[in-house]
Amino acid sequence: MKEQLEALEKRVRRAVEEADAVEKLAELKIGFLGKKGEITQLSRLMGSLSAEERPAMGQMVNQVKQQAEALIEEKMAYLQQQAQQLRLRAERIDITLPGRPVNTGARHIITSVQQQIEDIFIGLGYQVVEGPQVETDYYNFEAMNIPRDHPARDMQDSFYFSPQMLLRTHTSPVQARIMEKMQGKLPVKIISPGAVYRRDEDATHTPMFHQVEALLVDERVTFADLSGTLLAFARQMFGEERQIRMRPSYFPFTEPSAEVDISCFACGGEGCRLCKGSGWIEILGSGMVHPRVLEMSGYDPKHCSGFAFGMGIERIAMLKYGINDLRLLFDNDVRFLSSFWGGQK
Amino acid sequence: MNISYNWLKDYIDLDISAAQLAEKMTNAGLEIDEVVEIGAEVEGVVVGRVRECRALEGSDHLHICQVDVGGEQPLSIICGAPNVRAGLTVACATVGAKLPGGFIITSKKTFGVVSDGMLCSEKELGISDEHSGIWELPEELELGADALTAAGIRDQVLLVDLTPNRADCLGMLNFARETAALTGGQVREPQLDYAESDEQIGRLIEIRVEDTDLCPRYCARLVRGVKIGPSPLWMQNYLRAAGMRPINNVVDISNFVMLEMDQPLHTFDYQRIAERRIVVRQATEGETMQTLDGKERVFDGTELLICDGSGPVCVAGVMGGFATEVTAATTDILIEAACFKPASIRRTSRSLGIPSEASQRFEKGVAAADCDKAARRAAQLMVEYCGGTAVQGVCDVSAGEFIPRKASISAGRVNRLLGTAYTADEVKEVLQRLNFPIEQQGELLTVTVPAYRQDISIEEDLIEEVARLKGFDNIPQTLPAGASQGGRSQLQLLTARLIELCVAHGLYETVNYSFISPREADKLQLDAGHPWRDNLLIANPLSEDISVMRQSLLPGLLNTAARNWSRRNLDLRLFEVGSVFQPAAQQPEQNQPEEVRMLGIVLAGSAEGGWLGAAAEYDYFYLKGVVESIFAGMNICNLCFQRVTEPYLHPGRSAELSLDGISLGVIGELHPQAAAAYELEGRVLVAELALPAVFINAAANLPLQHDLPRYPASTRDIAVIGDSDIAAEAIEAAIYEAGGEILRSVKLFDVYQGLPIPPDQRSLAYALSFRHAERTLTDKEVDEAFNAIVAALRDRYGYKLR
Repeated sequence: MKEQLEALEKRVRRAVEEADAVEKLAELKIGFLGKKGEITQLSRLMGSLSAEERPAMGQMVNQVKQQAEALIEEKMAYLQQQAQQLRLRAERIDITLPGRPVNTGARHIITSVQQQIEDIFIGLGYQVVEGPQVETDYYNFEAMNIPRDHPARDMQDSFYFSPQMLLRTHTSPVQARIMEKMQGKLPVKIISPGAVYRRDEDATHTPMFHQVEALLVDERVTFADLSGTLLAFARQMFGEERQIRMRPSYFPFTEPSAEVDISCFACGGEGCRLCKGSGWIEILGSGMVHPRVLEMSGYDPKHCSGFAFGMGIERIAMLKYGINDLRLLFDNDVRFLSSFWGGQK
Repeated sequence: MNISYNWLKDYIDLDISAAQLAEKMTNAGLEIDEVVEIGAEVEGVVVGRVRECRALEGSDHLHICQVDVGGEQPLSIICGAPNVRAGLTVACATVGAKLPGGFIITSKKTFGVVSDGMLCSEKELGISDEHSGIWELPEELELGADALTAAGIRDQVLLVDLTPNRADCLGMLNFARETAALTGGQVREPQLDYAESDEQIGRLIEIRVEDTDLCPRYCARLVRGVKIGPSPLWMQNYLRAAGMRPINNVVDISNFVMLEMDQPLHTFDYQRIAERRIVVRQATEGETMQTLDGKERVFDGTELLICDGSGPVCVAGVMGGFATEVTAATTDILIEAACFKPASIRRTSRSLGIPSEASQRFEKGVAAADCDKAARRAAQLMVEYCGGTAVQGVCDVSAGEFIPRKASISAGRVNRLLGTAYTADEVKEVLQRLNFPIEQQGELLTVTVPAYRQDISIEEDLIEEVARLKGFDNIPQTLPAGASQGGRSQLQLLTARLIELCVAHGLYETVNYSFISPREADKLQLDAGHPWRDNLLIANPLSEDISVMRQSLLPGLLNTAARNWSRRNLDLRLFEVGSVFQPAAQQPEQNQPEEVRMLGIVLAGSAEGGWLGAAAEYDYFYLKGVVESIFAGMNICNLCFQRVTEPYLHPGRSAELSLDGISLGVIGELHPQAAAAYELEGRVLVAELALPAVFINAAANLPLQHDLPRYPASTRDIAVIGDSDIAAEAIEAAIYEAGGEILRSVKLFDVYQGLPIPPDQRSLAYALSFRHAERTLTDKEVDEAFNAIVAALRDRYGYKLR
């Protein structure tokens, strides 16, 4: 029996060595170690041995069995690894082929810039409020200190439904609406984005466009606060190095009034095509709320003051994203819309 | 307004350049768009005199001239102008001279004769549009001198873009006052004094103003014995620089004074004023008059007219009449300097379509207090330059006295509003620069506002003067005191979330006009009574295409889709979040409409295919999947889809979307006829949902977390066959109901129609998942539930197990 075992051990060793596939090795395993396997059968013969022989032979059978198991396992691991490597090699692909397309979308640049502006002012403590686009003559003009026959009505040729009702020409009427609603409470600190309309259509004007209005009324709001707020906005929107310049101007609802320029972000103020050589780019109109406007909306200009400003979202968007043609914004060509997703190709 | 720098220097000494002044002006609120240099492009054009002028042989109109330009030899120059003649003083472009447009003069041979230069018209020199002949210069100019310099043409012109409040600077004198405030100079007031005859104006003309509201002041002065002729060259130059054409001395003086004093004048031929009387009154309806431009004007009764004894002779402030026009034969001039109500002038000038330098000034308001000053100035100039004699006195009719406004200011209040630290002296110094009379009482400075500064009436106006003249750049930059809580409303947050979800689902946001064409209703195949045909109408639209307020986002989106489609953008996934306008039930043009924010979606075409295979065309189920997923992102489930009939939707492929009985909008395939109307090919999918309705549910649905299931689920598949007309939604609801609490999910995985299933029937296959929260289910429990489902489908809908 000892000889048998030794021979078997040699055969196992050779067979395992020769096995070159996982399947063959699995067969070998069954052939040697399965229920009817040779080693299993040999171990069944143990019963026929004498009690003296049994321990030594038992040990030997076990040894052969363990050895066989170890050999097969080792070889199995080796073959499996080899098989996997073969498969991996066969599964090689051209990783530079294009990826499976996913449908992507994008925000429109107008609403995207609107959100950026809103976020900046929310950070400065402003509440976002909205007003109607079809507005009464009172809120659009009268409450903004633009009485009938005021020359400033020339500046804003409007779309009318009737003498009493029109498409708002600016977001400023929201100033009066919110102040009335606040009933004299301080502070009034809001921004109001939205569509506005003027009877104008050419290369640089569309009959509908978008503005963001800002209004702060409190006990002691100063022109210096206006200037500082606009500087903070300009820097967040156009970069930390920006400066602002305020120039006296005229709006019926503010006094004093100012046009606001930012230092050109294309040339840093040296003068270039974007800023027409001046180093400055006009971005918005602003001023201290006119005392008449405060009075009409129930605020006493002796006890409070305020600033207001309004900016065109399209203008900010065009400046920031280098859009040369206003009409692109309302054309909605998907090639334009998708250019704000994924950067420049 | 064009400001001639030469002219400006008549009123104030300036030691800065025009460009430097322009910068100061811009920084002080009078925006200078450009400084134009007149004659900058002209070089080598000299004063010459035509010594001889003969017809050129072989030509029917050319002349050969001998032109003396101060040199030893005259130049031979061929000229074709009709007014060329011997003795004329001309602008002669010599060989090598440069003219506007980079044109360089060379020696040229014409009909065998050499021409050594060119005699120039005003247009050729770029100084006016006059081109009917060569420019005739005054005799006294030195021959050979630079023609433009000698004639006083070379100048710099500041193009001012005035804000409406500073219309006073439409007058040179007021612009000079502004210049003085900025540069510290002194303004030289124009000469107003002249000798008068013994004749009393009151005996020569009667003036009556019937409506002092429309005409608060009317002043008239009379100058007799004038001789009509050219005005002095300097005046012509000033007028040209200001963009006006010189006519004759009387007309030029009238325009000159208007430009100088911001007070438009009118001149009448006194001898042609019927009955020697002027009446200022409103027109009567249907009344007519021939204006100076030769047109017969018919009035509607709102116009203000200047009339004589025979009828209207002038449309007040807008245009003179033919009947009393100053002609070459005129000798006696009645000068009118009046103030008219701005709104009335604006209305008349618009309705008659006559915008003019004069009406533009009246519309912005002239200083009534200063009317007579302008009349005096005109009379003075006519005495000096037209050889006339002024009659004594003025006819001055006015509504009352003109009391100057007063406004007060203190340094404390300046600083409180501006955030500055100016001293009382600094504030006072600024007001002095403006030459405003000041009374001081302690801190308080009370200013008497000059009549020409109609923009100043309250303290804040004076604070603005201080702010802008001290310079806005001297104001510090601070952030407002006090903390405050900023943010968006719940509605705004939800809208933002919705937009993000649309983008995340592969949709591109668009922004379309709120106004559309009334023809969109036809394109959408809407029937006559459809509410979308009853839109809010713009009374004065720019064009029919944008003349009614939309009640749906779909027309705008579909036009955008169509525009893209025509450019071969064939993968369209578009959306818009915007307002629609539902007209008020009563008097919609006077009562504000309901503005409802909507979400609109349009899909057309298919995703771009690739090497991995072509993508399927977008269909109802693609859009439905997108919408359901977006709603899931808003934490809204249990949407109900019910068949809907809308004329613009495919009758078999459209649904109304609702939630808890509240309609949210529609989703479906665009009716093929509507798609064709928009020139869109293939299936077009649309959805339109009202956001307020959507958000009622979204706001409350905070997704509170539950523990994840601890016990395994048992799954069963079920396939049933039955009537295809029974909605899948109903089948699914029945399965849920019959399956009881342990049925956790029902997923449809196959829909099959065709052999061997009978026509009108279909097979639906579902994967069912059962689970108990607290223990593992037994097979028996699952079997019972399964059998209950089978029974329910059979009993309720006649669906049988496959």
